[in-house]
Amino acid sequence: MSKISYSKEVIRDLIEGKLPWSQTKSIISGYKDEDRFDKYVEVLQEKVAWQEKILLPLTHELYIVQKGSDRIVKCSCGQEFGDYRVNWKLNALIHVRESEEEVKELYPYPSAPDAEFCEIREFYCPGCGTQLWVETVPFGYPLVFDFLPDLDTFYAEWLKRPLPSQKEFTDLTCDFIAQNWAE
Amino acid sequence: MEQKVVNKGIGWGGNTLKEMLDKKKQLWSDTGCYYGLQELSLSASAPFKLELLHARLLAAVIAGRETTRMISAAPQVREVAELAVALYTPEGDCLLQSTGIIIHITLMGQVVEWMIEQGYEEEGINDGDCFTSNDNAISGLHPPDVYDITPIFWEGELIGWVGTVIMELEIGAVVPGCMPSGATDRFSEGLRLSAEKSAENDKHLKSFERRIRFGSRTPDLLLLNRKGALAANVKVREEVKKAVAEFGIDYYMGATRELVELERRAQLERVKRRTVPGKFHSPTTIEVDLTRTIAPPTHAIGRVTLIPCDFHIKPDGRYFLDFDGTGAWGWHAANTTPSAIQGAVSMILTQTIAYTGNANQGTSLAVDMNVPYDSFVWPSTPNFASGWLFSWPLSGGVKWMTQQSHAFFCRGFVEEFRSGVTTSSGVFGAMTGKDHLGNDFNFLSTEAAGCWGGGAFATRDGVTASAAFMPNVDMGSVEIWELMLPTLWLGRKLLPDSCGWGRYRSGYSALSTFLIYKTPLLAFDTSATFLEDKIYPNIGMFGGYPSQGAFSKLITNANTKELISQEKPLAHGMGNPDQSDLEKNIDGDLTVVTRGGIFVDSLAKDGDVYQCFYGAIASGVGDPIKRDPALARKDLDNGLLGIERCRSMHCIEAKYDQETEEWAVDEGATAELREKRSKERLAKGIPAKEWWEKRRQHLAEGRLPRLLKVMYNESLTKGQRWPGEFRRFWNLPETFTFKED
Repeated sequence: MSKISYSKEVIRDLIEGKLPWSQTKSIISGYKDEDRFDKYVEVLQEKVAWQEKILLPLTHELYIVQKGSDRIVKCSCGQEFGDYRVNWKLNALIHVRESEEEVKELYPYPSAPDAEFCEIREFYCPGCGTQLWVETVPFGYPLVFDFLPDLDTFYAEWLKRPLPSQKEFTDLTCDFIAQNWAE
Repeated sequence: MEQKVVNKGIGWGGNTLKEMLDKKKQLWSDTGCYYGLQELSLSASAPFKLELLHARLLAAVIAGRETTRMISAAPQVREVAELAVALYTPEGDCLLQSTGIIIHITLMGQVVEWMIEQGYEEEGINDGDCFTSNDNAISGLHPPDVYDITPIFWEGELIGWVGTVIMELEIGAVVPGCMPSGATDRFSEGLRLSAEKSAENDKHLKSFERRIRFGSRTPDLLLLNRKGALAANVKVREEVKKAVAEFGIDYYMGATRELVELERRAQLERVKRRTVPGKFHSPTTIEVDLTRTIAPPTHAIGRVTLIPCDFHIKPDGRYFLDFDGTGAWGWHAANTTPSAIQGAVSMILTQTIAYTGNANQGTSLAVDMNVPYDSFVWPSTPNFASGWLFSWPLSGGVKWMTQQSHAFFCRGFVEEFRSGVTTSSGVFGAMTGKDHLGNDFNFLSTEAAGCWGGGAFATRDGVTASAAFMPNVDMGSVEIWELMLPTLWLGRKLLPDSCGWGRYRSGYSALSTFLIYKTPLLAFDTSATFLEDKIYPNIGMFGGYPSQGAFSKLITNANTKELISQEKPLAHGMGNPDQSDLEKNIDGDLTVVTRGGIFVDSLAKDGDVYQCFYGAIASGVGDPIKRDPALARKDLDNGLLGIERCRSMHCIEAKYDQETEEWAVDEGATAELREKRSKERLAKGIPAKEWWEKRRQHLAEGRLPRLLKVMYNESLTKGQRWPGEFRRFWNLPETFTFKED
């Protein structure tokens, strides 16, 4: 069987939700294309205005990119969030929906989370004001580090092309807080 | 081929089942391969032959499931199809499965393993026997899910098992229904069938039938379901025998083991090709409120339990779930168990990554876990209440599914990204009182099972009907439900403005409106699946929000008879949310219920009206103000989105054209609204450091609800790793705990 592969145009339309459903369905049901990751990154790289190489897309708007010898999180608008091993939310703007009116805007019917118990945290990009994430967690829960990728394993062992330099796979969030925020 | 020994056990080759089980475990431990299979000779030499056998067996279990549906009288089986059938190895490992409530597939096999460990072989396992179990201390999700398990013999040797699971709607618990809010230990949850022999020679034992007859409020339905399950098992067993006759017993046994090992390897390979290794994290909180139901005073408390969970995708493709830091178990129905979590793992993988039709025990073998004993996820008593054991599986488990989707997204397989619907607080209507035929009546209406709005995808909106535990959803025909229940449906409608907001919104859930019919006395228990009422599940993705939770309304002393005689409008859906049709059109005493797991204070009777929004909580994906106006316009045209929230959530301006009866988007005004919103965000958002300082102060001074202090203290006391992470994040002392008032 020949290997499945899709054109960059198809991948672009797929990412943007513009591919007709019949084609999307056929991609879902079919064998997966082995060159997907590279085409995906290529399409996304063309969409952003900056030059740093995308190592891994994280969300609709955020990317881990290679910047010099660093790997940082960067928004599509260009805003930078620092080392990818530090939760990017530490460098975002936060708004917590606390008033009844603000909660009611989301939940117009009788049931709604209790703001005393539940923090509805909205995270905005300081560069463009995009809402990057929403957490609904118990009051006082640490900021959730949703995903810390093991980039070196991914590139070296899974894609079989190691990145130029190695970074230890470890969560540096608490180190960042200890060094920068704690009195 | 395995060497045959002189007959001493009932298992294949004359081995005892215990010997086979021990050998399997030893080989796994020694080699890391299922049954020690390092070479897969059958698939290497004749792959199509193996595929042919697999397809034959798969067809058998699917046909078995349909057989049961033809025999059962319960709408839950006939209409909603909450059942599944699976085939197992002699040791209880799943080989293949039908569609349906597949969360039970691995778990029925665990019952087989328990029976082997308990020495059932010495007590007697014979061709034509059936064993029935709903004991969740052995395995399972909750007592109404009843397992019927039948051995398969070939020439006097046990070569496998077939199991059928059916969800029952009444099992004789302390209050009606099958997962009552007030049951706080296993003794108040009704029939307890601990893998007991229920049939011999393919015929149910009279003693078993008597036990059912005296143990349930709806014994006819329960017994007929057992007949249906037995029929499915017999059908599958006979099909297996036909396959063995054709392929040969040595080939069959070898093939069953290779199919498991092949799938294990395939799962690891799929993970490496579709995901990205690393670590994900999310907390889940499960609430319990036993203060407004019939729980004994010693258990009648409210509590919140924290279940932090790390999900690792390892370099070798294995998954690892770490529940370190989970709080305490308690006398309530919402604990969970390792078995329930394993069921969730199997169910979710089968639907999201192992969907080739080959999912079996091998899929689950690629997943490891750390589940702390004597905690919420593993109670240290066999008598825990188990009505909502799917608490973590259907909330945290669904979050885990979404995290796996996140990994698909990062890898570029955006079409495979699916965020979750947690099923939390997705109330059902458990009813008790008199039915429309004058009988004492107790039942759980599960028309909503699986029909909640689903989480959004990465590139499209969520679907209207979805649930992780019920891949093929069906609310059932109203006319069939009406045969069973003293309620007439006035309407089933989607509830506008109730989605999880996002660039791609979640699906919409249904609102049902009922006229209470020909009953003088009816009580409702908002028998939730489990509660996330105060703290919504953390399932929003990429800037999207969780959707609206459930609620219900009851109007007693309603003037519906007068309205009907005057041919005036009743209520068929919500209408205008600010003044709903229910409240606008019908006079009476209104009770609004915003919590699951409680009894509705008022009693209903003929002519009253009950309305229930089955809102399980689903995720929106992406920033709501980046929504394509064309998608919003479609929702406006379909009456799913009001213009007020179209403006406030999506920053889209639109005008209604009376002539075309369609909405038109004002692109210029929309651009202005969006720019204004971005600026507002930049103005009101505070730097994370500022928020951290403020919140840390709150925590250090104990300015949070007492239930949360208890919740955090349980986790800080019980955890090994998580407590350190919590304290380090907040820069709190190494021994910090909250002072409980």
